[in-house]
Amino acid sequence: MQHGKGFWLFVAIALFVMAIYNLMPFFWMISSSFKTDIEVTSYPATLLPQAFTTDAYARIWAQEGFVLYFLNSIKVSGGTAILSATVGVFAAYGFSRFRFQGRTALMATLLVTQMLPGVLLVGPYFKMLSLVDLYDTHLGLILAQTSITLPFTVWMLKGYIDTIPVEIDQAAMIDGATRLQSLVHCVFPNILPGLVATTVFSFLLAWGDLLWALCLITTPEKQTMTLGITNLVGQFRVLWSDIMAATVIGCAIPAFFYLLLQRYLITGVAGAAVKG
Amino acid sequence: MIGERWTAYWFVLPGTFLLLAILGFPAIASIVDSFGSVGSGGFGSAYLALLSDQRFLTASFNTALFVVCVVTLHIILGLAVALLLNADIPFKWFFRVVALLPWTVPDVIGGLIFRFMLDPLSGGVNAIAFRLQLMQGPYDWLGDPGWAMFSVIMAETWRGYPYPMLILLAGLQAIPKEQYEAAAIDGAGRWAIFTNVTLPNLMPMVLIAVVLDAIWQCRLFGMIFGMTNGGPGDATQNLSLFVYRQYFQFFETTYAASAAVVLAAVLLAVAIPYIRSTLREKS
Repeated sequence: MQHGKGFWLFVAIALFVMAIYNLMPFFWMISSSFKTDIEVTSYPATLLPQAFTTDAYARIWAQEGFVLYFLNSIKVSGGTAILSATVGVFAAYGFSRFRFQGRTALMATLLVTQMLPGVLLVGPYFKMLSLVDLYDTHLGLILAQTSITLPFTVWMLKGYIDTIPVEIDQAAMIDGATRLQSLVHCVFPNILPGLVATTVFSFLLAWGDLLWALCLITTPEKQTMTLGITNLVGQFRVLWSDIMAATVIGCAIPAFFYLLLQRYLITGVAGAAVKG
Repeated sequence: MIGERWTAYWFVLPGTFLLLAILGFPAIASIVDSFGSVGSGGFGSAYLALLSDQRFLTASFNTALFVVCVVTLHIILGLAVALLLNADIPFKWFFRVVALLPWTVPDVIGGLIFRFMLDPLSGGVNAIAFRLQLMQGPYDWLGDPGWAMFSVIMAETWRGYPYPMLILLAGLQAIPKEQYEAAAIDGAGRWAIFTNVTLPNLMPMVLIAVVLDAIWQCRLFGMIFGMTNGGPGDATQNLSLFVYRQYFQFFETTYAASAAVVLAAVLLAVAIPYIRSTLREKS
C-alpha cells in the first residue's frame, strides 16, 4: 500500500527515538570509561569526558586478574559451546530422522528442562561437584552451563536438520554410506550456518552467566569475566571508570558476535521459539 | 530400514545421559530435599514455613510485579520496534543492529551500567535532572524502595525487549502479503489493516513471546544482583535471589529447595500450553 510523506516522517522520528533509547546506556558506559578518576566521581556528572584518558583501561589491563578472567570466560564459554554442539548435533539428528519409542517423551522432557530455573539446580549441583572433586573447577562450570545450553541446542539444531530433505540421506545410504557418514557428509555441510549460530548462541549464554560462576567458583584466579566485574564492585571503593572500562570489554565480545550473526538470529532464535 | 531400530538410540543417548547427570539428577535431588523437615516440623514442613515467611511472600510479590510490568513493556516496545523494522526503511541493516544491541549485554553488566547511571553522586540521571533544574541536589534512587523497583523494571525493560521483538518480527514477516493486498483493495485504512490483518495473524506469536519472556524474567538473577542486590532491604529481591540467599548465605538447603520448587512449578504452569502446542505441531 502507498504511504504518504507524513507516514515516513513518523517512521523516521520513531526510529531515531528508538536508536537514542537503545544507545543511551552504551554511550554512558563508554563515555565514563574514558574519564579521569576525579571527573568520574564528581557531581554533577559530565556527559562527555572533559579530559579524555585511557587510564581506566590501563589499570584494568595491569590488574593481572582481569586478563585472566577474560581468558577464563573464553575457556568456559568455548568449552560449553563446543560440548553442547557436539553432543547436541547427534541428538538432534536422532530426533529429526528417526521415529523411535520414547521419542515424544524425550522431546517433551527437553522442552521442560528449558523452563527450569537455575536456582533449582544450583544447590544440589554444588553438592554433586564437591563429591566428584569438580567444585571450583572450570570443567564443573562447563558441565553446569551445558545443562542450560544443551536442551535448546538440540531443539534449534533439530529445526535446522528438519529442513534438509531426507532424500539426501537416503541417496547417500543407497550408495553405501552409514548413518554416521551421511550425517557428516550430507547433513553437516547443509546445516553449517545454523550450527555456527547455535554454537555462538551457547557461547554467549555462558558468557553472560553470573549465577553458576558465583556459586561454583571460589578461587579468585578461576573467576569468569562477569564474576570478576561483579566482585570489583563489591570492594570498598567503587571506581566507576574502571568498572565501566571492564564492562566495555565484557560487552564487546557478545556485541561483536551478535552483529556478525544478526542475519541468522531472526530465523535462528526466533525460529527456534516459533517452530520449537 | 533393517537394523535401524537401535541406531536412533546411539544418536540420542549420549545427550540424554549427559542431561540426566547434569540436569535430571540435581532437579530430582532438589525436589526430594525440599520435602525434608525444617526445625521440629516433619515431612513437607519447609513448604508450611514458606507460607508464613514474610521475606518469601515479599519476594513472590516482587517477582510477580516485576514480571508483569517487564513483560507488558517488552511486548509493547517489541511490537512497536518490530513494526518499524518490518517497514521498507532505508539503512535497515543498521537499525536492526541498533535494535538488537541492548540484548547483547550480559544481564549483570546491564545491572551495573544502570546502577552507575542512577548513582546518587556521579550518576548520569542525577546530572541530567540537575541540569534541567528538576532537582536541587543529588537523590539516591536505588536507596528508595519504590524507585529501586521502578528502576530495576526500567533497566530490564531496556535490556530484554529485543528478544520478544525478534519473535514478533519473525511473526510479522510470516504474514502473507496477499492478505494486505486484499485488504487494501477493499479500501481498508491503515488502522483497519493493522487491527484486522496484522494483529489476528500475529496473536499466536504474541502469546509465544509472552510465555518465553515471562519464563526468562521469572528466573532473572544477574541483573538484580548487579543493580541492587535485592535491596534496599528486600524491596527488589525476587525469588531467584531469595533462593540463592537461603542456600549460599544462610545454608538453609531444605528451605531454599522448597522455594525453588515453588518457582519451578509456577514456571512449568506458565509453560505447559506452550510445550503442548509445540509438541503437537512437531508430531
